[in-house]
Amino acid sequence: MVAPASGLGHRASGIRDSVRSVLHAQREEWADEEAFLEDAFERGWTDGLPVVPPTPEKVEAFLATVGLAPEEVLGAVPTREVTVTAEHAAINAVMAGCRPEYFPVVVAAVRAHLDEHGNCHSTTGTLSGAAQAIIVNGPIRHELGIASAGACLGPGFRANATIGRALRLVIRNVCRSVPGFLDRATFSWPLRYSFCFGENEEASDWTPLHVQRGFAPDESTATVASVMRMVSAWDSTSRTPEGVLDSIVATTRHFGFQGDEFLGDQISFVYIMGKEHHRFFIEEHWSKEQMQEYMWPRLTAPTSGAHDRYTNIQHPENVLIVAAGGAGMAETWILCPHLAWAITKPVERVTTP
Amino acid sequence: MPIVALDPTSGPIDPADARRLAPRPNSLAGQRLGIVVNGLGYCERFLDRLGELLLADGELLGVVKVVKSSVSVPPEPGDWARLTEGATVAITGFGG
Repeated sequence: MVAPASGLGHRASGIRDSVRSVLHAQREEWADEEAFLEDAFERGWTDGLPVVPPTPEKVEAFLATVGLAPEEVLGAVPTREVTVTAEHAAINAVMAGCRPEYFPVVVAAVRAHLDEHGNCHSTTGTLSGAAQAIIVNGPIRHELGIASAGACLGPGFRANATIGRALRLVIRNVCRSVPGFLDRATFSWPLRYSFCFGENEEASDWTPLHVQRGFAPDESTATVASVMRMVSAWDSTSRTPEGVLDSIVATTRHFGFQGDEFLGDQISFVYIMGKEHHRFFIEEHWSKEQMQEYMWPRLTAPTSGAHDRYTNIQHPENVLIVAAGGAGMAETWILCPHLAWAITKPVERVTTP
Repeated sequence: MPIVALDPTSGPIDPADARRLAPRPNSLAGQRLGIVVNGLGYCERFLDRLGELLLADGELLGVVKVVKSSVSVPPEPGDWARLTEGATVAITGFGG
C-alpha cells in the first residue's frame, strides 16, 4: 500500500531523527573503498561481485524511505535462529547497489520471502538450488524504472538487478545461506544472483497480478515466488488462445508437481507470458480469469505417461499469469515452484507530508 | 580516504560449523536407533532396509522411525519428542 500523505509521513520524520544514533550493526573502518571491498570478499560478504560499502549515512537514508526503526523485525528463520531487521535489509540493499528509493520494494520482498509459507529455510538451503523471483506490480514500477518489457528478465536494468540482488544478499549474509554452510545446492544457478522484474500491466486490460491477489490497482506490491526450475514454453505456430495454452500446459506437465502437506492447497505456478503469445489473447478478448479456468482442469488431469504428469494445483487462481517481455520470440516462461507459496506484500513507504 | 561501514551479517560463521559432525558412538551395542525419513525418492525404502540389517546384527535395542509430514519442513514437535526420548543414536537421509 502506498502510504497516505498524512500520518506515516509525520511518523517518519520523527524516526529519521532517531535512526542516526541507534544503528546496531558493528562499525569498522577501512583505509579506503578498495580495502573495504577486498575485505568484504575475504569475509564472504558478497555474492562474488563487487559491493557498495554500507556506510551508516547510506543505511540511514535507506531506512528513512520506509520510516522504519533499524530494529524493526521484517521476519525470521526459526530453524536458523535468525531474525532479520530493517537495518539488516538496508545494509545489504546498499551493498547490492540499490538507490534509496528502491528500498521499500526490497523491504516488501524480504517480508514476502520471510513469510512462514515463503519457507526460507527450505528454499534457500535446498539441494535443488531454488531461486526467488520478485514480481513487482503497481505504479512504483514506473517510478523506479523496473523493466517489464523487452529483456526484462536479464541484465541492463539497475532497479531489477539490484532489488533482486538485495534479497539474495540478505539471504546470504543474514539468513546464512552460504554455499557449503546452509546453502547445500548441488549446482545452484544464475537466477540466484538476482531475479526481479515488473508485470507489464499496460500491455492489455488484464487484471494485474496484485489486483487478482486482493490489492488495489494504485497500490504497489512485491510478489516473491520460489523457483525450482524455469522452463520456456515455446510455440511459434499456434494462432489461437487455446492452442497457445495447450502448449503451455503440455510443457508444464512434462515436469508436473506432486502434493506437499506443508504447502497444502496453495501451490502456484507462475506463467510469464511474452508479447507474441499475449497478442492472441488480446485479439480474442480473453481475460486472465478465462485462461485460469481453461488451464486448471488440463493441468490437473491424471498422469498419462512418463512425460505427462499431474500438476497439483488446487485452485484456478493458483495459476499465476503475468504479462512481460518484448516482441519476437513466441514463448511463455514457466516458473515451477519449489516448496513455498507465492507471497505478495505491499510496498509501504514514507510520503512527504 | 578512510571509510566506516557496517557489518552486513547476523553474526560470524565458523567455517568449522560447515563440516562439524555429530558425535559417533563406538558401537551400536545397546543403542536405540532413530530413523528420520525425509520423504524424497527411495529414502524410506533404503532406511527401512538399513534398520532391518542393523537389527539383525542383534546389538540394537530397537528402532524409532519418524517420517516427516512434509519434505519441506523439519519433523513435527511430537516426532522430535519421540526421537529424543526414544532413541540414543539417529540417522537420516534423503533420496532424489
